Amino acid sequence: MTASLPAGLRERVMAATHQVRQAGQSVPEVSEDSPAEAFGHAADAFYQTLCSLTGDDWGLPVLRDLDVQGLVGHLIGVEDDVQRALAGDPGVASTDHVQSTQPAALRQAGRPTAGTREDWRHAADRTLAAVTGGDLDAVVALHGFPLRVRDLLVARTFELWTHENDIRTAAGLSLAAPAPSTLRPMTRLATALLPFGAVFTDLHEPVSVHLVLTGPGGGTWDVAVGDPSPEPAALGIVTDVVGFCRLFSNRIAPADLDVFVTGDPRLARSVLTAATALALD
Amino acid sequence: MEPTDPLLAARLAAGDDHALAEVFDHLAPTVYGAALRVLGEGAAAQDVVQDVFVELWSHPDRYDPKAGTLGTYLIVLARHRAVDLVRSELRRLARQERHYRLTPEGPGPTPSDAVTAADTADAVRAAVRLLPDDQRQVVELAYFQGLSYREVALATGIPEGTAKSRLRLALAKLESALDRQLLESP
Repeated sequence: MTASLPAGLRERVMAATHQVRQAGQSVPEVSEDSPAEAFGHAADAFYQTLCSLTGDDWGLPVLRDLDVQGLVGHLIGVEDDVQRALAGDPGVASTDHVQSTQPAALRQAGRPTAGTREDWRHAADRTLAAVTGGDLDAVVALHGFPLRVRDLLVARTFELWTHENDIRTAAGLSLAAPAPSTLRPMTRLATALLPFGAVFTDLHEPVSVHLVLTGPGGGTWDVAVGDPSPEPAALGIVTDVVGFCRLFSNRIAPADLDVFVTGDPRLARSVLTAATALALD
Repeated sequence: MEPTDPLLAARLAAGDDHALAEVFDHLAPTVYGAALRVLGEGAAAQDVVQDVFVELWSHPDRYDPKAGTLGTYLIVLARHRAVDLVRSELRRLARQERHYRLTPEGPGPTPSDAVTAADTADAVRAAVRLLPDDQRQVVELAYFQGLSYREVALATGIPEGTAKSRLRLALAKLESALDRQLLESP
């Protein structure tokens, strides 16, 4: 049996629901890593994957012209540049992410792989030591992007997780997913940067994106992208939180992401493409 | 990806208030109708609707799409809430009647109490009437006259153990009758 609802019941019920739980909060609640914790967890996971590789795995081609050992060398170079940026060195502010680290990548050729692995571990530990007790809101410039230290650490979390999975894919291992507590700062950064991705992809059409990332560590965000407008197009995008992070890392194409869209599908594709625009190799 | 119940559940868990509004618009009339069938009056049924959707929004993970549809889950929630309300009102009414009987010099029920009590009695009376005579008798003696098991046994000429078992059976049937009213809803 259905019955006509009394006037005002919908408003009353909606008000009551939002008193017990704000929109956007995911349940069950998960704790959220600090930026340094997120980076530390990603570094630990990356190191564990390196420790699980066989000697032959280190020579597998993985990204660009790099084998696994060369990719780890690239990341040693990134840590060196991060530490220079944290120290205020303007020399790394606008250098290219790949070119700047290519010498470190090439230096690994012929080295014992354990040496490369331990050098990277020590480099990551030095980055963590450099930010401990420091001002996380200080802005540093690295590889063409000015970022607060807290955001830089989360961006590096993305990078370590992405390259960990690059290596795991090359070695035939299953993909790894961050813990929900680590996903929280990652999704927070990714959604905050979405409007900038739109600028990079020339998405000017004003869109109000209701972005729902499902699964532990997900949540719901309302993000304005495109040019400011009092009447933006309304767009709803629902997708899995880990899948969205892979999209943000440019490791999955928008067409390959399992999404539920309400609104203009063309705009949805544009927004999802914008999400990939800030990824670095 | 289709807007299925599992997807709705995942969206609710992610804090998607649009999903909550969609579920409300689609299923609230059915939830309200189910509550009305049990309670027979609108104010209490509205409370049930609110309780059901607050529960869904607070704990969306308690809904298991593998166990059934979201609509069925919400109707079952509404049934439990409505039956709980009836039981609670039945106990309150019985306590109130015993109180007035024991304090004959008191002021008696207020007009508001009297209206509430009358509404509640109407809502429950139909279910009580469905009971067999012997069971209805023990319910009336125990709840409305406040007799103990021993006193019910003495008044009806049955052993105390039989009085207890009849009362338990009567309450189970009362609940079942209220459930049936809901289940018969289209």
